Amino acid sequence: MELELLLKKYFGFSFFKIGQKEVISSLLNGEHTLAMLPTGTGKSLCYQLPGYILEGQILIISPLLSLMQDQVEQMKRFGEKRVVALNSFLSVEEKDYALKFLTKYKFIFISPEMLRIPYIIKRLQSLSISLFVVDEAHCISQWGYDFRPDYSKLGEIRNALGNPLTLALTATATAKVRQDIVQSLRLNKVKKIESSIDRPNIGLYVEKVPDYREKEERVLELAAKLKKPGIIYFSSKKAAEHMAEMLINKQICRASAYHGGMEQDARILIQQQFIHDQLDIICATSAFGMGVNKENIRFVIHYHMPMQIESYLQEIGRAGRDGKPSIAILLYSPGDEQLPIQLSESELPSNQQIDWLFNKTDLYIGRNFGEGQLAETLKELGGFSEVQWRIVEELVNRPPQDVKSPQHLKEMIQDFVEHRLQAKKANIFRMKQWIDAKTCRRKFMMEYFDDRSNTVVTPCCDQCGLVIEPYYQSVSRRHFSTSESSWKDYLIKLLNNSGLSK
Amino acid sequence: MAQLESIILYCLKQLNKERTVYSIYHLLNGKKSSQTIQDAHLFNLKKFFGIMDVLTRETFNQRIETLLNQKLIYKVKDQTFFPTPSGDLFLKNNPLLRELNGWEFHQLSTLFWERLSLLIQVASNFEYHETNYVPIQKNKDVHIWLKSTLKDMKVSKNKMASQIYAELLDCFSENKGLDPSVLVYRLTGYQQIGLTGTQLAQKLSMSYYDYYLQFVHIIHFMMETLRVNPDRFPVLSFLYNGLIKSNELTQSSKKTWQLLTKGYSLEHIAQIRQLKLSTIEDHLVEIALNIDRFSIHEYVDPNLQDEILRSSKSAGSRQLKLIKAMVTRASYFQIRLVLAKFGDKAWS
Ligand SMILES: [Zn+2]
Repeated sequence: MELELLLKKYFGFSFFKIGQKEVISSLLNGEHTLAMLPTGTGKSLCYQLPGYILEGQILIISPLLSLMQDQVEQMKRFGEKRVVALNSFLSVEEKDYALKFLTKYKFIFISPEMLRIPYIIKRLQSLSISLFVVDEAHCISQWGYDFRPDYSKLGEIRNALGNPLTLALTATATAKVRQDIVQSLRLNKVKKIESSIDRPNIGLYVEKVPDYREKEERVLELAAKLKKPGIIYFSSKKAAEHMAEMLINKQICRASAYHGGMEQDARILIQQQFIHDQLDIICATSAFGMGVNKENIRFVIHYHMPMQIESYLQEIGRAGRDGKPSIAILLYSPGDEQLPIQLSESELPSNQQIDWLFNKTDLYIGRNFGEGQLAETLKELGGFSEVQWRIVEELVNRPPQDVKSPQHLKEMIQDFVEHRLQAKKANIFRMKQWIDAKTCRRKFMMEYFDDRSNTVVTPCCDQCGLVIEPYYQSVSRRHFSTSESSWKDYLIKLLNNSGLSK
Repeated sequence: MAQLESIILYCLKQLNKERTVYSIYHLLNGKKSSQTIQDAHLFNLKKFFGIMDVLTRETFNQRIETLLNQKLIYKVKDQTFFPTPSGDLFLKNNPLLRELNGWEFHQLSTLFWERLSLLIQVASNFEYHETNYVPIQKNKDVHIWLKSTLKDMKVSKNKMASQIYAELLDCFSENKGLDPSVLVYRLTGYQQIGLTGTQLAQKLSMSYYDYYLQFVHIIHFMMETLRVNPDRFPVLSFLYNGLIKSNELTQSSKKTWQLLTKGYSLEHIAQIRQLKLSTIEDHLVEIALNIDRFSIHEYVDPNLQDEILRSSKSAGSRQLKLIKAMVTRASYFQIRLVLAKFGDKAWS
């Protein structure tokens, strides 16, 4: 069987990207596979292509709804119609229809919370699932940076589905997290394909600036000088908007903010404008980048410090997918680590909130302990955020078997929160160590992921003598076109293929 | 350009000191409350109903503050204002957008815009033989609509884009006072992504709210034009087809209406729903405004209806107190009900 032929036939590519072929061959050999592939290597191809060889359905568990939608749409655009996403975006009718005709689909994407529903498990059991795919598999591990309680139950679910052939995919996971993935999914024998996390064409650069004001100045300067397009990441929506406004007002480049607080229409437009080179710089929060396939991003600047090395790696990995020289710049000023610490605390329910919740005597009214469903109103009354509530709900609604009393449950939750906070702080500390490193930053990062491939990269990082000037654009170009087309011209261009020559 | 200010001034004039300034805020926001819906009818402000659901209370307060500082309005009493002579002059110099029709269109304009933008994107990519692109609209209903509509259109696929172009120009030419820029630059097509509202406001050097009103204005204008001349716009008229306004009843009024149609009395409904009778009466007024087949004869004798209508006309006022003084045997509830049912006709 020629995998390259299938690749050409279904995807139009002539060559596999790094790691893809190994993963696919391993699966076709019937081996459970854990694949750690760098961001931007087309992980989805690793289960799509086997789908054209294996009989039966491919089940893909994916935690991010928006990403799931993107993947489904993309597959449909490339002509694969036998694909469906089972998630909370579906209306009741759509869900009913999809479940009724589940056998008609080849690729079934599903969100972990849907797997809680017994009826859905039952429907899935009636299929013959030939491949069980766990995307973003690092979410399984308590040590992972994006732990999702739902994910820790995937082993059970896999079991209920008859232990099908399994592919666990992740871009970034430390050795400990990888071990957790294998254990949690109950894979007794697994083939690990770990391609290097290193992206040699991305230069690493950390710059320390005395305070926020100078940082702002520096970003403006870099935005003017660096070769574009580029992304500037922020931890706050306000800061992202503020910077975008400054870039526009000072006529430095064509810029826009992008964050989760914006309307969906606007988010789509801005993403597409960026992809179509109508924008030079996006000032974004971490909401931006998932599913954005843009090859020629020349720089990624971090205005704020990310919460862990894993997300930093993901975010800078959006640069230079075309293989050309690109640069990742992190700007640090003293005290910057306070913001991620605050953020990680706010992602977990506070002690006061937990106390308050367990003082509510109506928590389990009329039910046996442990079988209750938390009333949605408690979320608002207790001032829980979406993320906080997700954790509380998961822990209270489905407590482990060995919990004896509400008091015991409360202690467990407190323990859990304490543990998570420690893990998060440790991550921030590692990130800070990386910033303070006096040795090669690339080496540091690869050691963190137990990546033993040793390639020599030049230019590598500021510690190895990388300078920033080669990443500047040769002539300072300003994209503010002076010749504005009239609305009629605009419309003609849109609707008349030969309009401009007329 | 100062559209929002003009609208506020106009509304204050119409309200004639009988309502607080916040009734304007609720009106522009399209608040689904009996009071707001009644006011829209009573004071002839239906065209502004729900045209600015993006308006925040904060911004609204700021605008009122500015109008006060510029002495365009004066304070009558707490939260109640009226235009000064310079306010009148301002209104004269900054006339209202004439095509706004919030009452008819505000619920439908988003859907209309989604249909329009997707149609243009599809037609444009078709014109350039491109099949691989990211749809700019995520609303599934709009995709389903377009799929079925494309089959119904009697225009061959390769003539579609130029036909749409011709129809758009024809439609815009209907009103020379309009600037199609506020709409056109937001359109997406082959290799060209449209601007967001915020971006276009910036490009046209408008404040966001003024831009927003201009955008709503041109959308309402298009909807009206297509509604009236479907034959002149064989392709674009599909955008308007089948857009049906769902009725405006608030959730609570809906329940009352359901019980009413089952034959329950007002008192009984109040009992069942554990609400005050006056609340149920409010619901009835709302129902009278919205549901044509609702007859009020059971609550107001036809002769009394006549009397109330005549009095309201001769008094030249919609003020309940004045009417009540003239028709003493009618209750406030009955007067409100009659004005709600026939208010428009009585006043036009
Ligand atoms: Zn180095």
